Amino acid sequence: MSDRRIGVYICHCGGNISDYVNVDKVKEAVQDEPGVVVAKTSMFTCSDAGQQDIIRDIKEQNLDGLVVASCSPKLHLHTFRDVAKRAGLNPYQYTQVNIREQCSWTHTDDHEGATEKAIRLVRAGINRTNLTEPLHSIKINTVPKVLIIGAGIAGLRAAIGLNDIGIAVYLAEKEQEPGGWVAGFGKMYPHGRNGKEIINQLVNEVKKRDSITLFTQAEVIDKTGSVGDFRVKIRVRDQEEIALHVGAIITATGFNAYKPHEDEYGYGMDGVVTLAEFKKLLDKSEGKIIRQGKEIKNVVYVYCVGSRQGDEAEDGNRYCSRYCCNAAVHSSIQALEKNPQVHQYHLFRDMRTYGKFELLLNDALKRGSIFLKFDENEPPQITKGANGTLNVTVKDLLTFGEEVEIEADLVVLATGMVPKENQKLVDILKLPVGRDRFFNEIHPKLRPVETVVDGVYICGTCQGPKNSAESVASALAAVSQSAAILKKGYVELEPLIAMVNREACTWCGECETACPYTAISKEQVQGKEVAKIHEALCKGCGGCIPICPNHALDLKGYTDGQMKAMIDGLLKEKF
Amino acid sequence: MNYDVLVIGSGIGGMESALKLGDMGYKVLVVEKEASVGGKMILLSKVFPTLDCASCISTPKMASTIHHPNIDVMTYSEVKEIKRNKAGKFEVTVLKKPTFINENLCTGCRECEMNCNVAVPDQFNFDMVARRAAYIAFPQSVPKKAVIEREGTSPCTYTCPAGIKAHGYTALVRGGKYEEAFNLVLENAPLVGSLGRACYAPCEGECARGRLEGPISIRRIKRFVADEYYKDHVQPAYGVSEERKDKKVAVVGSGPAGLTAAFFLARKGYPVTIFEAASEPGGMLRTAIPSYRLPKDVVDRDIRNVTALGVEIKTGVRIDDLNELKDQGYEAIFVASGTHGTRKMEIEGENLGGVISCIDFLREVNLGKDVSLKDKTVVVVGGGNVAIDSARVAVRLGAKKVIVQYRRSRAEMPAHDWEIQAAEDEGIEFEYLSTPVKYTGSGGILAQVESIKMELGEPDAGGRRKPVPVKGSEYRTEVDMVITAIGLEPETKAFQKLLQVNSNETLVVNPETLQTSVPHVFAGGDVVTGPSMIVEAVGQGRKAAFFIDCFLNDESLEGVHAREYEYKMPVVDKDKVIARQQNYRKLIPVANNKTLLSKDLDFTETELPLTEEEARYSAGRCLDCGVCSECQTCVHTCPAKAIDLSMKEEKKVVEVGSVIVSTGFNLFPAKLKPQYGYGKYKNVITGMQMDRLLSPTRPYNTVLRPHDGKVPENIAYVLCTGSRDQAVNNSLCSGVCCMYSVKQNQLIMGALPLADVTVYYIDVRAFGKGYEEFYQQAKDMGANFVKGRIAGIREKDDGNLTLFYEDINNGGKVMEAEHDLVVLSVGLLASPDAKNLFQNASLETDEHFFVKEIDEDISPARTSIEGVFVAGAASGAKDIPDSILHAGAAAAQAAAYVERTRMKK
Repeated sequence: MSDRRIGVYICHCGGNISDYVNVDKVKEAVQDEPGVVVAKTSMFTCSDAGQQDIIRDIKEQNLDGLVVASCSPKLHLHTFRDVAKRAGLNPYQYTQVNIREQCSWTHTDDHEGATEKAIRLVRAGINRTNLTEPLHSIKINTVPKVLIIGAGIAGLRAAIGLNDIGIAVYLAEKEQEPGGWVAGFGKMYPHGRNGKEIINQLVNEVKKRDSITLFTQAEVIDKTGSVGDFRVKIRVRDQEEIALHVGAIITATGFNAYKPHEDEYGYGMDGVVTLAEFKKLLDKSEGKIIRQGKEIKNVVYVYCVGSRQGDEAEDGNRYCSRYCCNAAVHSSIQALEKNPQVHQYHLFRDMRTYGKFELLLNDALKRGSIFLKFDENEPPQITKGANGTLNVTVKDLLTFGEEVEIEADLVVLATGMVPKENQKLVDILKLPVGRDRFFNEIHPKLRPVETVVDGVYICGTCQGPKNSAESVASALAAVSQSAAILKKGYVELEPLIAMVNREACTWCGECETACPYTAISKEQVQGKEVAKIHEALCKGCGGCIPICPNHALDLKGYTDGQMKAMIDGLLKEKF
Repeated sequence: MNYDVLVIGSGIGGMESALKLGDMGYKVLVVEKEASVGGKMILLSKVFPTLDCASCISTPKMASTIHHPNIDVMTYSEVKEIKRNKAGKFEVTVLKKPTFINENLCTGCRECEMNCNVAVPDQFNFDMVARRAAYIAFPQSVPKKAVIEREGTSPCTYTCPAGIKAHGYTALVRGGKYEEAFNLVLENAPLVGSLGRACYAPCEGECARGRLEGPISIRRIKRFVADEYYKDHVQPAYGVSEERKDKKVAVVGSGPAGLTAAFFLARKGYPVTIFEAASEPGGMLRTAIPSYRLPKDVVDRDIRNVTALGVEIKTGVRIDDLNELKDQGYEAIFVASGTHGTRKMEIEGENLGGVISCIDFLREVNLGKDVSLKDKTVVVVGGGNVAIDSARVAVRLGAKKVIVQYRRSRAEMPAHDWEIQAAEDEGIEFEYLSTPVKYTGSGGILAQVESIKMELGEPDAGGRRKPVPVKGSEYRTEVDMVITAIGLEPETKAFQKLLQVNSNETLVVNPETLQTSVPHVFAGGDVVTGPSMIVEAVGQGRKAAFFIDCFLNDESLEGVHAREYEYKMPVVDKDKVIARQQNYRKLIPVANNKTLLSKDLDFTETELPLTEEEARYSAGRCLDCGVCSECQTCVHTCPAKAIDLSMKEEKKVVEVGSVIVSTGFNLFPAKLKPQYGYGKYKNVITGMQMDRLLSPTRPYNTVLRPHDGKVPENIAYVLCTGSRDQAVNNSLCSGVCCMYSVKQNQLIMGALPLADVTVYYIDVRAFGKGYEEFYQQAKDMGANFVKGRIAGIREKDDGNLTLFYEDINNGGKVMEAEHDLVVLSVGLLASPDAKNLFQNASLETDEHFFVKEIDEDISPARTSIEGVFVAGAASGAKDIPDSILHAGAAAAQAAAYVERTRMKK
């Protein structure tokens, strides 16, 4: 029997769980498990009312262990640890049991089976909790400095934003000059500001500030340490290596423009250009648009080049690049501003001038741009025409499938954004990469600029397509997030790390080799060589534990004893 | 308390800004106008493109916001004004609206909600279902505290001189809670049965329903309540108050004022003795009001409500010397001796036998004297209710002819129209613009009335046209009896040596406290007001009891006390009440005051009682003007005793360094597209309503169409409802509707695997990270996407809907399609909330009224006012991920601004 006092809460999650799992039955099945003194169901355990109920029980019933059977710990582990903490219970006496993602949602067709599985899962959680001990988080003082990788508009703005709230910044740019893509832009949508001027303004501001250090031609070559206390090495101009000590790292490495492959919409033919190339031509044009000595009078835009690629394109970009509709429409307005005589035809699939960018579309329409919608299965064909022109044929859905032939001086491919080649950085920072190959945040709503690596943040277009202002917004969000950690002066790391039984350890060195985080080294204790765990470096992955021939290692919070007890709980046959 | 940053609005944007700033160590004040933080996101089902449960994402943020050590949250509060002060900071005035529930005591148990008797459309379910006036916003509310919605005092309750909660008992009757209704009336008046019959019901005159088909029969509902209660309770259910006080109180007069004062004093434990000059108690209830209007057993039963408390009534005792009472040990005296004197006409023959004052006439009849007027002719002089009463009594005593002479015309007659009507029905003749000038007779006995015709001249000071005699129009009537009913006045001569008396014989009192010039003597009722209504006298009686209690407790009667007595919220504007709904179902009042006309008029009660069905139907017509009816049920049922209906608005002024405006958006009102029939066709709903139908806290347990509860099989989505549409002055794209519709498609296909979903679109704007993939997934799951804007919708007899559209992808033919449920994907409009908050600076907005970002390229979230930032959809339609990033940007800059201003110091 157990002398523990454990509270067990089984969540309905509205109906997310209780529509499939009989939560009352689960409660009945576990309420007499060893150590359980409170067992309840709750409509929304995570709601304030649910939390207050638990806090009341912990205090009134003097609970020393807590189990919440609800959703994935990814969502609410910290929520309930905080609840425990607020009630005066050690947060590591808490066990989250996932009966939603791993039970109700996966077994919507088998209510009885789901209920049985939930009972087993909750029993496992109770058994683990019976063996928990109070643990204390590892406090690490943070360095009030941030390394920002990439000095495009996002990186530059983030640097200033951080510096504004008293945080020193190292800004590392791979290229010779800071500024990224925006430095190459003239007029930008929707406010008509000049990209180059914006960058100049930001770069001047950065240079003015003593506590922002800008490195150009710099690349990150090494990173050790953990959140709040990173040691990063950068190499500048292929020679000098500089060691930096920072509390957080913001990745703002930007995007590459999609490069159409040979023959994609006639790319490679003279007169077929990408949107970026066209934008450069426009920015430098005064009055008439002249290309290679020839006036451009008829322009055809083909949208979604390199974006929204269907299943037929292998390794295609399934995603929408978000900015291109707006950018192409804006370019066409710019072209008409330069020369109102120019004829422009937009061949699109869905016109995604979202939000207030719809006004750009209205403006373009008013100024005489013509929009033709094509079916993704019948893309426009581009062939060489007479006199150096191009023939574009397209079946226009807006005129009910009429085949339209356009003689164009220029075909502009509205090319999307693709992720930058950054494999080295990915390896060094252990950055998570999504299915679209952009860097991935933990959660777009809960933790939109955080990665699974604590203290390493992402912003701007390295995370996914955005326009300039949106990149800046996300950069400032990353400022808030990193400042939220660094301004406090310390971070608390989870104490769920390996521990050494010094009596059993004979220091064979197996664990040191197995550790991927260089967290294990040798130390002398009373004349005996034993393994030492570096608290800040150990991630609690458990990789060392089965390696040890003497069973001298164990994982706090997930001890072998707890694991075995959980298995016993899972296997118990009584419902 | 001062703060670094004020965050206005606690939607996802506001919470994110506040949390980031709080984490950075800044002190933040969040002001939220609703009763819970969370904004609109918490009301959603799941959110795209990850299909996370909106609750799962919101609730931890909501709980963190409220519990964060650096964040204070004021819910149910509104920022009223922001001014930059000389120090460069912002001075913020916040109004905390009264919740009427002590939040420190409330445990969120919902007892009040479950017992509340008023249902109003639930704004958190977008009016698809009702909620109560006492409510907790939604199951995941943070804080989980109830609030009571009170727009003000309902006009009926507000106007009642006795403060009776007319709206309250009406609401209780509507819910079948008759005993509670009786007890509610008893809280203000012990004479429930008498008021239910003989009250002139000023409440009905104020009833907002009067502007529609006619007022609610509030008085008859009260009578129903009394009848129901008295049927089962021959004696009151209570006895002498447990609280015992030793200071004795004397009440002079057992009319409505005296009885009521005695009742409330006895409830407080005072030993009370009433001295009544007449042989039976009740005052005018007994002696003046004829029993066909107010049966005397009802008066008796009402009086038992008072005597059950131990009040002693000594009848046949006339008090002339108040000092005697003092000498007998009464430490306070309430004089409520009424108006038992009648004014004289001062004309010839007034002292002839057969000329009688109405009061004497009615008293004699009411106290059982055998009076017969068989075959007699009676002239009643006067036009008030007492005149009519006298005339109708005369008829009942067998008079062959009864004539009422009144010196003005019927329009000016003070008697209630229904009384006049009843009198006419009973054959009483009316001679308008006539007044007696002389009574003649022989042997001291009246034989003739000489009257003169009048005409109406110029209006007098009171605005009434003054009657002027027409020379030579005299005429004579042979009569047996004249009953004069030209005005009543108090008989206060005996009190004059002790008390101050006005020229009209009424007593002088402090109108606030009813205290006379002699501190231990209070006075009220008709003896103070002159002839008035029962309910007025009841109100005075209760007021006197309140202040006598204060007096006996040696408390000051001035100032606070006088104001605290009966605090009422301001009366609700009836125009606003009527404007709440576009139209109302017609509910005709229960047939008016049709009387029980027996063949031989006798003294049995004439007014038909309401049947239970009629009473509940009548109560069901109530428009709940004040929203909360003040029925007090929650007060009685709250286990935490947290209800405080006298709570008042609180004003708080704080100084903040920076402001973040995160006031969110308004949904496009779908009614502005009449061709889609929203509000007219029941099976046309908005996207927000569909989100509620799909959410874990959904109003029904499944998706069903509102018209008939059928599970829909073929659902249409109309994208761009109110967006990209210059016809409704909104050319913007709302940025979220495509995606929330796609999300709902997926959820519907999960919830209703057999249902077809068709989306009618212009462009599908799946532009964010993971959105295109999400859209393709919906297509793969089987959602149909049809390019074509819906031109119009028509409803069929079975509630299904025909949609008209141009099928663009298939040759552009104009097509019709039938669906059994239509979801309008309504867009987002600017919320006007923040625009006018700033006093000495202007918060600029764009042409669509969103807060303008003046430097979006470099400093998104920055507004036209230095130090003021905007977060989330307040600056333009944004989805949740974009709002969160934007809120982070606002937080970073607000922090920077706070740092910069600190540095300057």
